[in-house]
Amino acid sequence: MEKNTDGNHQERTAHGGETIIEVRNLTKKFGHKLVLDNINLSIEKGKTTVIIGPSGCGKTVLIKHFIVLQRPSEGEVYFKGRRVDNLSERELNEVRTQFGYLFQEGALFDSMTIAENIMFPIRQHMKIRDWREVDEVVKMKLAMVGLDGFQNYFPARLSGGQRKRAALARAIALNPEVLLYDEPTTGLDPIRSDIINELVLKLERELGVTTVVVTHDMKSAYKVANRIIMLHNGKVVADGNADHIRNHPHPVVQQFINGQVGEDDLAVLRMSGSAGSSQFLPRDFQ
Amino acid sequence: MIAALGAKAIQDVVNAGQFGRFAWRSTVTSIRGCTRKSTYPLIWTQMFLIGVHSVPVIMITGAFVGMTLAVQAYDQLAGMGLEEHLGVLINISVVKELGPVLAAVMLAGRIGGALTAELGTMNVTEQIDAVRSMGTDPVRHLVAPRLLACLLLTPVLTIFADMMGVVGGALVSFLQFGINSRAYWMFSASAVAMWDVSIGIIKAFFFGGAIAVISCYKGFNCREGAHGVGEACTEAFVASFISILALDFALAVIFKSIYEIFWPVKSIVS
Ligand SMILES: Nc1ncnc2c1ncn2[C@@H]1O[C@H](COP(=O)(O)OP(=O)(O)O)[C@@H](O)[C@H]1O
Ligand SMILES: [Mg+2]
Repeated sequence: MEKNTDGNHQERTAHGGETIIEVRNLTKKFGHKLVLDNINLSIEKGKTTVIIGPSGCGKTVLIKHFIVLQRPSEGEVYFKGRRVDNLSERELNEVRTQFGYLFQEGALFDSMTIAENIMFPIRQHMKIRDWREVDEVVKMKLAMVGLDGFQNYFPARLSGGQRKRAALARAIALNPEVLLYDEPTTGLDPIRSDIINELVLKLERELGVTTVVVTHDMKSAYKVANRIIMLHNGKVVADGNADHIRNHPHPVVQQFINGQVGEDDLAVLRMSGSAGSSQFLPRDFQ
Repeated sequence: MIAALGAKAIQDVVNAGQFGRFAWRSTVTSIRGCTRKSTYPLIWTQMFLIGVHSVPVIMITGAFVGMTLAVQAYDQLAGMGLEEHLGVLINISVVKELGPVLAAVMLAGRIGGALTAELGTMNVTEQIDAVRSMGTDPVRHLVAPRLLACLLLTPVLTIFADMMGVVGGALVSFLQFGINSRAYWMFSASAVAMWDVSIGIIKAFFFGGAIAVISCYKGFNCREGAHGVGEACTEAFVASFISILALDFALAVIFKSIYEIFWPVKSIVS
């Protein structure tokens, strides 16, 4: 019933664009642990949305809900106006081919070469008539991320940045409409981070994809974002363009973007330091 | 205290339900996989990985089982002057019980551990999520080929173990105890029927299935970190081992009742 009433009307968001992904009242718990707390969010088509927040605040869990790699504890997820969070895995497989997902550590299959990794989604979803054609596609995708020539390398032989780019080539193998990046610059030096930022922008420009980037790297966020959303304690605390975030009055936002420790965290550190609870006392050995 | 116990019980029931669903889905997907050409190369790879490296270990296991049985049983039979029946005892035990069970236990350690470690690592490094994110069912792509390979290979490897058990038992009987080989084989042949061999092989089929499903399940549900993978491997082995023994018992009961139903028919016919 609900599916029909909600089906196929594509709303305009407050920002005036067309919504492609939407979550409503999304709550996610692992056991008793509340990770996402009643989140409402619309992602605009063709734009780059960046989700920021401290480590462990639930950014990865949130974007995994977008392609229903995680199912909500409560709430709904919509893709192009169609409710997807209650679909079966089999129905989801078709939906997921419209997404490209770059995992935090790349998640390349380490038993396969780079070329085989990129062929994987192609072999799963397309009728292959001519293998030379597939080789051409692989070459093209690798060239887009600047890795042509690495076809026969195994992932273990690549550096961290190269692995992420190879994983990105795999994510765009099926020409997705939406690209989800999970911390694409984490663990890379500033130059290689910037290469990734440029790639994000380039792919958005050349493929016209909708982009969602999860990061805690503000430099990267400012560079690629049309819109920045900050997540804290499972809730959205700030939502707007780069200037809006820079001048946001909320102290948590200011602390995060300036890389400062909050008063609460400092208090915890001071307490544990002076009370000596981190040291062994004689009674610990009795 | 009671609440904690209750919570644990509920968790166990939930886990059992999850495992049941996983086993069911794996079985259905594997049956479908048989008809799909694209799974054949995957099965082939797994069979190669599982099979080739397991053959020597399995053969050694089988040979020692046969040899040990000969040594243990000889004194008792010789005391009654029945030493020429030694072959009956050895070969029945090997073919029906010890061959399949010990081969399966060996495989639970060898391939079960490898499957759990491989899939567990894939899970921890998000490779299983990656398979799903590209619109492919990980059960179809990862579990079905492994399950089918185990189902096909465990019986074959059991036959190897059986053969080596029979050979090992015979060698010890002839060389160490000087039993007349003609009498040994004659008594064996009259006592060991096709039925006994088939039971062993059917058992092996079930053991192989149990090992594969349990190992894959533990790999898929493994907790984060290297520690989690190690833990999953241990749990997979213990669970496979217990399932093998439990299945062995259950199948023994089932086969016995089948045998009793058909035995009168057979004696009328012959
Ligand atoms: N499968 C899971 N089971 C239990 N807890 C999880 C699981 N996945 C994530 N969490 C927890 O959810 C929280 C948010 O994780 P995550 O989204 O990975 O954070 P991040 O913002 O760094 O990406 C963490 O505290 C993590 O421990
Ligand atoms: Mg994360």
